[in-house]
Amino acid sequence: MEHFIETIGRNMFAIFGVMALGGAAVVVASRSAVHSVLAFLFAMLCIAGCFLSLEAEFLGMAQILVYAGGIVVLFLFVVMLVEVTKAKEKEVFQLQSRYAIGAVLLGVAAFAAVFRKVIFGVASPQALKLPENLAQGLNVAQQNAQAVSRGLFAGYLLPFEILSVVLLVALVGAVVLAKTERV
Amino acid sequence: MPTPTLLQSIAITLIQCVLVVLFVFVVVPLTVFAERKVLGHLQQRLGSTRVASGHIGVTGWMNRGMWKWGRIPVLSYWRGIPGLLADVLKLILKEDIIPAKADKFVFFIAPALSMVSAVVVFAAISFVPGTFFVFPSWFPGLAGLPVSGGIADINVGLLWILGVASVGVYGIVLAGWASNSKYPLLGGLRSAAQMVSYEVPLAISLLAPVVLTGSLNFGEMAQRMATGTSAWGLVPQVFGFLIYLTCGFAETNRLPFDMPEAENELVAGFHTEYSGMKFGFFYLAEYINMTVVSALAAGFFLGGSWLLPFGLQGLANQLLPAGAWIAGPHAIFFVAKIIFLLFTYIWVRGTIPRYRYDQVMSVAWKYLIPLALVNLLLAAFVRCAV
Repeated sequence: MEHFIETIGRNMFAIFGVMALGGAAVVVASRSAVHSVLAFLFAMLCIAGCFLSLEAEFLGMAQILVYAGGIVVLFLFVVMLVEVTKAKEKEVFQLQSRYAIGAVLLGVAAFAAVFRKVIFGVASPQALKLPENLAQGLNVAQQNAQAVSRGLFAGYLLPFEILSVVLLVALVGAVVLAKTERV
Repeated sequence: MPTPTLLQSIAITLIQCVLVVLFVFVVVPLTVFAERKVLGHLQQRLGSTRVASGHIGVTGWMNRGMWKWGRIPVLSYWRGIPGLLADVLKLILKEDIIPAKADKFVFFIAPALSMVSAVVVFAAISFVPGTFFVFPSWFPGLAGLPVSGGIADINVGLLWILGVASVGVYGIVLAGWASNSKYPLLGGLRSAAQMVSYEVPLAISLLAPVVLTGSLNFGEMAQRMATGTSAWGLVPQVFGFLIYLTCGFAETNRLPFDMPEAENELVAGFHTEYSGMKFGFFYLAEYINMTVVSALAAGFFLGGSWLLPFGLQGLANQLLPAGAWIAGPHAIFFVAKIIFLLFTYIWVRGTIPRYRYDQVMSVAWKYLIPLALVNLLLAAFVRCAV
């Protein structure tokens, strides 16, 4: 019994990973858009579980808070408002499926290009760490949130701020587009 | 004290879960009962303050005396109990109807989502710091092992609470959609907009305690807020408490903000098509959510399991002798604060009329978010200066 529980505990990442992939498959395969959103929610929660099993508590919780609590709700909101009849839906899907496959292949290629070292290279003997001068007086294993914040706001402040500006541009763009349509 | 093995620690966690669920299922029916009675007194509704099984017992005798003197009896604690029992029986026995054109799977899973996300939040809430009780030596298998005051001592407890609570909105939105009917759909859409809006000031108002204490762990935050903040910390705490409570009312869809179910506009909103125990789950989830919001307010602003609110306990402890009973943490204070806040919920419901929908949204975006940001700034100043 004890052995069994320990084995499950050690393979938590794989379990959550498989569940997340299953959820993602349902997102693509499902006929109803709302079911897709539900499966997407499930996949997001499983990814949060993956983060938790790697002891990245802060990331896992941020995943739940931002994706499950915010973004997917807005997806659902839009999907509920846009009611597409069955026939039309089919047509739209058939039109877009070629582009969709292309986009997915492109995404896979980009992912492989970025992470080729991680996937095919030699496994690093050590986990990723904060630089010494930033990690001073901090128990990184225990104080996850503090470690992330030091990395973001002390080590990599400029890229972080540039990213936030990119998000702001998207936000302003969305507002502008919505406004012009109404006038 | 012996350290527990893996199986023992799992058993202890299960026992803690059972205790928390027991706590919830004691508090919720009592809140429903209290709501009937307090509203009965506030709005002069007669039934829930009069119905009783008979004029028996000592208090019944005293009540009859008061009627004879021409006064309305105050000692009518159990009056209304038959109403509560009838309500519970109705929920359990009523036929469970699924509308013909409803999406069956989503219709089924929506109440479960609301309920689960409401209960799971309790994992990160600690009722008392440190050990709650130690198993007696006769207890089979677990003799002498300590049980802590919270189920899981998570480093990022606050984020867990906010994250899981935010999943609760799906229950309402999906219920509205799956019913395949216009009023529930409107209720669901309203609730999606309202709850996502009010989550923002709610989270910002909870950031003030985070800034003041420098932690995200519920127990640590409660302790430092109660005993470790300076006198200046009082200002952001009081403002933060008021903002938090307002947002809490909106997040739980309680009366000044009960847009998702506004009965005069939307029949019963998102749960119009639900009956029986599926409706019962939404009903339970609403009251459990109220308990959760009250527990957070009690923990972060009202001093948690210490007696005095708003960090006053830390100032009082300098005057009190060390080791005094009243200076230490006790689960009973925590529960008392939760119950007081639940009473506040009912009190507000009986007093303030419902907002209009556009007013609800403008309150969140135009007033509460700026106020919460100013409060956060104040807290940051206090933290830096002191």
